[in-house]
Amino acid sequence: MDDYAIGVLTNVGLISFLALSAYLLLIAGEMSFGQQAFFGVGAYAGGMLTAMYGWPLPLAALCAMALGALAQFLVGLPTLRLRGLYFAMATLAAAEMARILFELFHFQRPVEGEAVGPDGSQGFRGIRWVFENGIEPIAYLGIVYCLLALALVLFLLVERSRLGATLRSVGEDPELAAALGVDVDRIKLGVAAAAGALAALGGVLYAHHNTYIEPRNFDIMLGVHSLAYALIGGLGTALGPLLGVVLDIGALEGTRVFHGYRMIVFGGLVALLLIWRPRGLLDERAVQWLRRRFS
Amino acid sequence: MAKTTLFLILALLAAPALAQAPKAELRCKSTGTDFVFDCTIRLTQGGKPLEGAKVTVGADMPSMPMAHNLKPVKAVPAQVPGEYKAKLDLEMLGVWAVKLRLAGPVRDQLILHYEFDSNGATPVRK
Repeated sequence: MDDYAIGVLTNVGLISFLALSAYLLLIAGEMSFGQQAFFGVGAYAGGMLTAMYGWPLPLAALCAMALGALAQFLVGLPTLRLRGLYFAMATLAAAEMARILFELFHFQRPVEGEAVGPDGSQGFRGIRWVFENGIEPIAYLGIVYCLLALALVLFLLVERSRLGATLRSVGEDPELAAALGVDVDRIKLGVAAAAGALAALGGVLYAHHNTYIEPRNFDIMLGVHSLAYALIGGLGTALGPLLGVVLDIGALEGTRVFHGYRMIVFGGLVALLLIWRPRGLLDERAVQWLRRRFS
Repeated sequence: MAKTTLFLILALLAAPALAQAPKAELRCKSTGTDFVFDCTIRLTQGGKPLEGAKVTVGADMPSMPMAHNLKPVKAVPAQVPGEYKAKLDLEMLGVWAVKLRLAGPVRDQLILHYEFDSNGATPVRK
């Protein structure tokens, strides 16, 4: 496999964490435009722990996930009282606040004679743990996909469990779920924390793949795309957002022939797809049909 | 006991000693074709030219990482030691995070921010 293919596949894997994070909130009935903020929290926290304090990546990733979960839990406390468009706007505002905080965040310390750490809008360079530990790109790709597979297995197990049914009932009709004795607020806060942890894990892996992060990496475009993956791929199963990422990145790579116009072509393709399949390719009906066909 | 165990786990997982990180500079001029630039990369390590590296050049738009990017191209060694040449076919002008992936005598990745205009490229970050 050449470097280009490895790079594209790694990007697909990294973005998938963000897509799954947005999907988790979507099935609980909330549309978040702010998952990029928790991706950023993970990237900054993980990068600081390995580059500035010499922590090993696995330990840094766990801490970053805990921080991502805490951050989204705290954002969720006031915002999950809101519904629909109001919640979407609140998450967008929270994400923009986080991005501005990254712009203002200066915290560096000398490592091997060089100042290392977040430097506001100048970004954060030198997240070199992967290179210092001799991890080849193909091995890093393997690490990303092992973690993604683990996340996916957890999703599929939850979806087939009582918790999965509860989540969908909360997403589809929270009043009815509450009437049946489900603690809707508690479920939604738990979902928010899990989504934050998942986005943060993607962020840690992204920072160590790229070696450099900056506040602009975590702006609204990333949030819009993360939602689009789930909407394109479908809301019927956790495989939907992954299909969305593959189609998104595949379409972007496949339309390079259009040069500067490819984003316009790509946007048009997404619009057409959503007119044809409003709940995505793998929507609930498609998943039911596939289950009947293969069971 | 707990502290010793934690220390041992951290020591086992900890990174090896850091090698001196390479540095890079980029000079680009327009080829006359829209968004296509001839670029020269100068690599140094410890103040000396870094020769024999295999250099792959990519670029990302900072606001859309992982999606809006340049397909990586291989740079070829120039006549001057430590210099490498590559042709970059960007999709638009503006600020790009140029990504240099190094292999060979040193394995690393360097990110340089440059603003590309109709004349060439100027650095926008320290």
